[in-house]
Amino acid sequence: MNGASPECHNNIPGNTTGGGGGEVSVFERQQARMKWQQQQQMLFNGNDHQVPNMLSAMQPSGLIGNFAIKPDPGIENGWPDFSYGDQLGYGSGFDHMNQNTHSRMTSFRPPLMADQTILQKNSSSASLSPKKRKAHENQKLKVVSEENGVKEKELKGCSDGDSTETSSKEKPKLTEAKKQEYIHVRARRGQATDSHSLAERVRREKISERMKYLQDLVPGCNKITGKAGMLDEIINYVQSLQRQVEFLSMKLATVHPRLDFDIDSLITTEMFVSGEVSAVGYSSEMANSTYLQLNSLLEMGTNPIDMVLRSIGSPVSIPETFVVSSCFNQIQPTVTWDADLQNLYRMELQHDTSTIPFQTQKFTGSYEGSNLKMEM
Amino acid sequence: MHTSSPLKKEFLKKWMEGLQICCSSKKQMNVLERKKKIKLSADIAMASAKKTPTSWSNALISYARRNEEYMILTDQLLGPESQFNLQKSTDRMIGFHKRVQCKKILKRRNTYSAGKRTKKKTGHPRLISATLIAKRLVKKRTKVLKRLVPGGESMDEFSLIKEALDYILSLKVQVDVMRSVVTATEILSNEKSLKSVE
Repeated sequence: MNGASPECHNNIPGNTTGGGGGEVSVFERQQARMKWQQQQQMLFNGNDHQVPNMLSAMQPSGLIGNFAIKPDPGIENGWPDFSYGDQLGYGSGFDHMNQNTHSRMTSFRPPLMADQTILQKNSSSASLSPKKRKAHENQKLKVVSEENGVKEKELKGCSDGDSTETSSKEKPKLTEAKKQEYIHVRARRGQATDSHSLAERVRREKISERMKYLQDLVPGCNKITGKAGMLDEIINYVQSLQRQVEFLSMKLATVHPRLDFDIDSLITTEMFVSGEVSAVGYSSEMANSTYLQLNSLLEMGTNPIDMVLRSIGSPVSIPETFVVSSCFNQIQPTVTWDADLQNLYRMELQHDTSTIPFQTQKFTGSYEGSNLKMEM
Repeated sequence: MHTSSPLKKEFLKKWMEGLQICCSSKKQMNVLERKKKIKLSADIAMASAKKTPTSWSNALISYARRNEEYMILTDQLLGPESQFNLQKSTDRMIGFHKRVQCKKILKRRNTYSAGKRTKKKTGHPRLISATLIAKRLVKKRTKVLKRLVPGGESMDEFSLIKEALDYILSLKVQVDVMRSVVTATEILSNEKSLKSVE
């Protein structure tokens, strides 16, 4: 999204007279494009939205009025500014292509526009359905390969010396910055210029980027490099999480004969056990009544266990010291249960990643915390 | 853990709603049925608690809907949310992807049979086989991952990884919440038993 806006800003100074679709000299346009290119280098940070202008800076084409990039209604972010670039041919990277065949250009346009929509939406969580995305990606790769082939041939055969020199100097930098851009991938120095391998490289780099995110998520992946090992870890982790869910739901099923979850008491016990602030959030959302009760009780200074006992239905008048001692008695069985649970975990998930023991240790930590709490 | 607590809250709320709907039907269920219901409502709650419906959440919901038993539950749970009414589109998508896959298989078979005759091993054979082995491993594992992540069959490798990331996050949330519910119920039941002993 950043990419489009500076280009639009450049549009405006370059086309101050062009707002109504007037004529702007080709030279001015070129200058604007060069400025914009340099801006792009600074601003571009793995940005997907590149405007095709990058390549069109070379050739001032004599055919101005034919490169209507019709602003696709799906495209946001400043593409509508091209509505007046329509007549100028400013917004087109198709200058070269038009020299080949006009018909081919027209056939390229719709998928390209779709590609750009996809590029914009790709960085955010995709709202396009996977079907459309798959169709577009198929098209995209074809478009990329063909277009790249065409463009690079054109660039090599370019007669305008100055602009190609500058552009070729910018090439290495630009390709570094633009490695995620579908349309304008260029060959780095000393690498194959085959359009297929370019597309492949883009794809590979995207995947490696995603792998880095995964390394943060999946514990224990820091040491592993390479796709196969990472995928292995991911698979193990997903499997272990799914098994945990199964196990926990089974456990809940055994505990509750009737599937009636007493939400209030759950929340209060959770507040007591974990002592997290989030539990307060739970209660405030789910059961406002209990929250208010809790609040009033806490103000009166009663022990939260009192609340729990109340919810179960035991007698209310319990002196504080008695509650404390009873709490001590209660914690011990829960600690033993915890040990049982740990054993269960270990049996179930013995061949899984090391997160499980960590998590059970967290358990004991929270219990100890609550012990301390009660001593106070 | 960097799981967000509003997501946890949302998930817990929806899960409890689903369970209440479940237990409103008054028949006796054995352990397995109960477990299924718990898991199902947890899954649906997880899928619906996301703000932006991703592919796996849609897939989960569409799978749940297909089974007639669960359809009522899911519809009740989701309510009038129109963002999940994508059943038809997911079906179409799956059909489309299967067609694409069949074509891929045919192509692969043709090129493989053609390539076997004309293939020349250029370069050091050991290096080539190493890369081939690596590629094969990656392919195998992506297949396994596709099976694991719901709705992963009809996705290319790149978006599969993204979906897997998302799915891992929500599974973590699910596990956390369920575990805390389990501990809370355990404590409650222990207290109850102690009280009854006294």
